[in-house]
Amino acid sequence: MEGAFIYFTIPILGGIKITQTVVSSFVVMILLCLAGIFLGRRLQKRPGRRQVMVEYLVGLLYGLVEDTMGKHNSHWTPYIGALFLSSLGGSLIGMTGILRSATADLSTTLTWALMTSGLCWYWSIRTNGFGGWLKGFAEPVALMLPLNIVSEIAQPISMAFRHFGNIMGGGVLISLLYTALSACSGLVLNLIGSSVIVSAVVLALGAGFAALAFGRTKKLLHKILSVVVAVTGLLALVQSAGILSGVPYLTVGIPGVLSLYFDVFSGLVQALVFSLLTMVYVGSALPGPEEAEKD
Amino acid sequence: MSGFETIVGVNPWTALFTFCNMLITFFILRKFLFKPVKKMIDQRQSEIDGLYTDANKAKQEALALEAEYRSHLDNARQERDEILREATARAQQREREIIDSARAEAEALRQKADADIAQERKRALNEIKDDLSGIAIDIAAKVAEKEIDQQQHEALIEEFIRNIGEAS
Repeated sequence: MEGAFIYFTIPILGGIKITQTVVSSFVVMILLCLAGIFLGRRLQKRPGRRQVMVEYLVGLLYGLVEDTMGKHNSHWTPYIGALFLSSLGGSLIGMTGILRSATADLSTTLTWALMTSGLCWYWSIRTNGFGGWLKGFAEPVALMLPLNIVSEIAQPISMAFRHFGNIMGGGVLISLLYTALSACSGLVLNLIGSSVIVSAVVLALGAGFAALAFGRTKKLLHKILSVVVAVTGLLALVQSAGILSGVPYLTVGIPGVLSLYFDVFSGLVQALVFSLLTMVYVGSALPGPEEAEKD
Repeated sequence: MSGFETIVGVNPWTALFTFCNMLITFFILRKFLFKPVKKMIDQRQSEIDGLYTDANKAKQEALALEAEYRSHLDNARQERDEILREATARAQQREREIIDSARAEAEALRQKADADIAQERKRALNEIKDDLSGIAIDIAAKVAEKEIDQQQHEALIEEFIRNIGEAS
């Protein structure tokens, strides 16, 4: 298993590697900007369908930020929204099959995590002063100093690795599944396709089942199973005739279901978790509502 | 010079690109999506709030006006009742006065009439008495002519006077 593919290297400044991640990142950025500009255009007092949807989603995001960071930090929504959408887009772009998920690269997630930490530190220092920020490490007792320092350093690392690991792990699992399924289909076809008679029998059985299943029952599982058996027989027959061999037919369908979980669901959850953690960390570093009003 | 990155590794250039892309996404989305949409939502919200406030105010005003008119109406009705009652009372008073005065006048008239009658009677009586003496003298002359004795004469006069007295 390897990381992002390097398309080419620009031979300046010690070699700038243009990897899949960089391309994905740019594509996501361009898509998000175009979508944002398109969706934010021609806003009217009496909204159309598009505007209602946009307003609902934007309102949802504002509500989330206001709930987590407080009403006075409502203006942080654009950053959180950009982070959430970049993360989601970066994860989902991997489903195109051409590009690799930008978030399956530690460079991406660590950058975002460090941006969050940087914001935290900046605002902590701005709110409490540099001395106050340093003193904050020795609270509640001086004994906690090493632990606090470790936790401060661990925070971006854990955020980065959580996101990266989930998306990367999903990708790894899916590709492992593909390998396993194609190996499995090769094995089955070799076993059945070694004799023409067995293949024909399997095909006949499958066809019979299929006829039964499509004629009588309405159970989807029966239909699918009968079709799979029939297809197995057919492919085995074709293989025994020496035309095609080792068709990875089992990889059809099954990974799609898992991909729905690992790519879509996991991508959504990780984007949400990353945004939520950013909100919580930055929110706790920001001044409270009373001090914010003084600005 | 293609190849693969290591699976767990950080490429500073990739990180820099990611950072820049993140900032660009942030600024563009903020400028073109979040701020306008939020502004629109807030504007509409404030407009709706304004409409509601206006509507409430109008309703309050309408209610106040209604109460005012109702009280006006009540006042008018009370006033009318008052006037009616007063007028009735005055009319009754006047009626009583008129009746009283009529009665008094009637009484006065009656008394005057009584007095007149009494006076008239007195006068008549006097006249009669005056006449009577004449008549008596006449009678006496007649009687004297007939030579009635003293006793008869006296009895005659007596009777005559008594008769007169009874007649009065």
